[in-house]
Amino acid sequence: MLGWLTGLGLFGSGILSAISNFVFIKPRATYGQPQRFSIGKPDDFPPGVRATLGARGLCVVREGNKIAALSTTCTHLGCIVGVSDSGFACPCHGSRFDQDGTVTGGPAPRPLPWYKVTLAPNGELEVDKDIEITPGSYLSL
Amino acid sequence: MRIALAIGTFFILLIHGIVFYDQFFHRWERNQIAYFDQARAMAKTDAERAALSDRSPRIEQIVVSNFGETRVDRCTTCHIASDDPRFATYAQPLRTHPYSIAMGDAQKDGKWERRHKFSEFGCTVCHDGQGRGLEPKYSHGEDEYWPDPLLGHTTQESWRKDYAPKLKGGEYLEANCAQCHTDPGFAGTATVEKGRKLFFATNCYGCHRIEGLSDGTIGPDLTEVGKKWKLDYLWGRIADPRAILATSIMPKFNLKDDEIKALVVFLKSRKGRNFAETEIQRYKVKLTGGAELVQATIKPVEIKPAEMLKQGEKLILDRACTACHKLGARDGGIAPDLSFEGAIKDEQWISDHFRNPKSTMPDSIMPTFRFTDDEFKAMTAYLVSLKAAPALANGEATYKALCLRCHGEKGDGNGPIAIHLDPFPRDLTKAGFMNSKSDQRLVDSIRNGVAGTSMPAWGKLLTDEQAKGVLAYIQTAYTKEPRRELKARQLPEKNPIAMSAESVARGEAQFVNRCAGCHGKKADGKGPNSLDIQPKPRNLRNARFVGSVDDRRLFESILYGVQGTAMPPWIDYGLNNNDVGDLVNFIRSINQKPKGGQNAVATK
Repeated sequence: MLGWLTGLGLFGSGILSAISNFVFIKPRATYGQPQRFSIGKPDDFPPGVRATLGARGLCVVREGNKIAALSTTCTHLGCIVGVSDSGFACPCHGSRFDQDGTVTGGPAPRPLPWYKVTLAPNGELEVDKDIEITPGSYLSL
Repeated sequence: MRIALAIGTFFILLIHGIVFYDQFFHRWERNQIAYFDQARAMAKTDAERAALSDRSPRIEQIVVSNFGETRVDRCTTCHIASDDPRFATYAQPLRTHPYSIAMGDAQKDGKWERRHKFSEFGCTVCHDGQGRGLEPKYSHGEDEYWPDPLLGHTTQESWRKDYAPKLKGGEYLEANCAQCHTDPGFAGTATVEKGRKLFFATNCYGCHRIEGLSDGTIGPDLTEVGKKWKLDYLWGRIADPRAILATSIMPKFNLKDDEIKALVVFLKSRKGRNFAETEIQRYKVKLTGGAELVQATIKPVEIKPAEMLKQGEKLILDRACTACHKLGARDGGIAPDLSFEGAIKDEQWISDHFRNPKSTMPDSIMPTFRFTDDEFKAMTAYLVSLKAAPALANGEATYKALCLRCHGEKGDGNGPIAIHLDPFPRDLTKAGFMNSKSDQRLVDSIRNGVAGTSMPAWGKLLTDEQAKGVLAYIQTAYTKEPRRELKARQLPEKNPIAMSAESVARGEAQFVNRCAGCHGKKADGKGPNSLDIQPKPRNLRNARFVGSVDDRRLFESILYGVQGTAMPPWIDYGLNNNDVGDLVNFIRSINQKPKGGQNAVATK
């Protein structure tokens, strides 16, 4: 009986510390800019617009009533790509992407990620850079 | 052994469990879960519902770096619904932050839009509080030692209870609006504006410096006062300075509660830097010390010779002289009565005192104010014109009208303004002193005043008879002890030792040995023993005073002591006329009259 109790105590403690270690291996908060933020009202982005938000590293695309946010950080070495006629182009190393962020040329190994966009209760659009979504999925307004 | 082991491991499990619970089931997590549940119930579309189900409790954080300093605000971790208009009627922490026109919010198509977005401004810019805290106790600053308690809504346990009822409510929030919106008359900062006006009207600017507003040097610099002190402390320091800091020399001003509140709100808004200012604007203020701003606040008055008296009067009443002094019906209750200044002081003295109070009264606490020459002239002219003597029926009436303000109701020198005077008014109840001086000497003090102190020459207002009447009243009402026959003392009329470098050196050696304990190494009356002596030892660097007393009186004070004070008769300790002569030479040598006649009137 005592042996069981001792065993339970040690085993329980072990389980709890294993869970804690697993969870807290990643900090719960860091001091960078928050990755989920508001980018303004949908009206700020009229249909057909491709607006880059430099400081946020985003390009907001609106087509009709559908809206999406693409990263403008190049997947090659992290340069900020600019909007070009055919899509996006890196000014430094020449990577090229089409309108959807798919690589069409240059050294970039992966397409530009799309981020989750939601409509917050106060009527503003919220982008969460922690959540990548499949390219081509839009938020319908 | 096995029992101990079993209990021990069980105990470890228990502790582990408690820590685990504490780390995994935070109050903010429960708040967020409650919010998600309720928001999901309110959701109208599937997309909305889906967006909510994607979210799980996490630390919400706003990093504000637009204002020159980086702030981390985690307030929205608990107040997660503050930007969700559907939660306007909920209880905190799940309540929408109110919208109001006063905060610049605007209504568009029936929906409110914020002027100060949380993502740009954070919460602590306006509310104070500790942005990084995740427990109400720490984030709201209820803990005594956190520097910025939540403004307006929190009254801390440790705060002074007598101020607590006055320190609640959103009125104090104005202080933080005025951090950025410094322009006078900004809508919504009426209390700050009132406080700013009071800061000038009650003379605070004379002593305190606020970068860009005032440049007083007597009191502490208040440029960052709002960052350093809490509301109750500011309130206390204004309402009753000595109750908070026993050594404070700040006078207790006659302020009402709402005036103190306005001053507290104004001071709370002084946090050193205006977040809305650019670096260039800040640099400009630094270069000039804000002189332009000072001059913008206190505009010089152009004095017209024809209206000199009128303008002088207006200046004296407007620029807060009566915040301390008494003048007719106005009484600040802190400094001497100016109602008949023209009768007891001459123009030169008044003018000198205005320009540099310490030149006429070395220990005066009166600040030197910024005025133009013309303004000084007009104010002097007005004071000189105040020659009307009050009607004085007898000795008692005279005492009450002229002496009571300093010497007090009981004659013990504790008059209402006595605490601000240095030297302290004479304690008239001390028979030892009063009876060791001849009547003539006391009448002389009343009629001629004591140079270098606040005791004016009342002889210009009182006849010899009236002065004697006051003295008689003092002697019967306060001194009480019957006067004894004064012993004749052998004193030289003139210092027998000629002034010379050797004599001064000998005098200095004597002084350091015998006198410095009380009068101090600098002879300024602030020696180590002076702390618990009342009355305080004489400041022997008071050139006006030293210049006004003759050798005979110095000899008498040193050789025979001053009865009723701590000054002993040094004749008992072996000093002879020659030693005292050296001492007198030394004292005179450190009080030489500066050239240019600044002190020329001292011995008049």
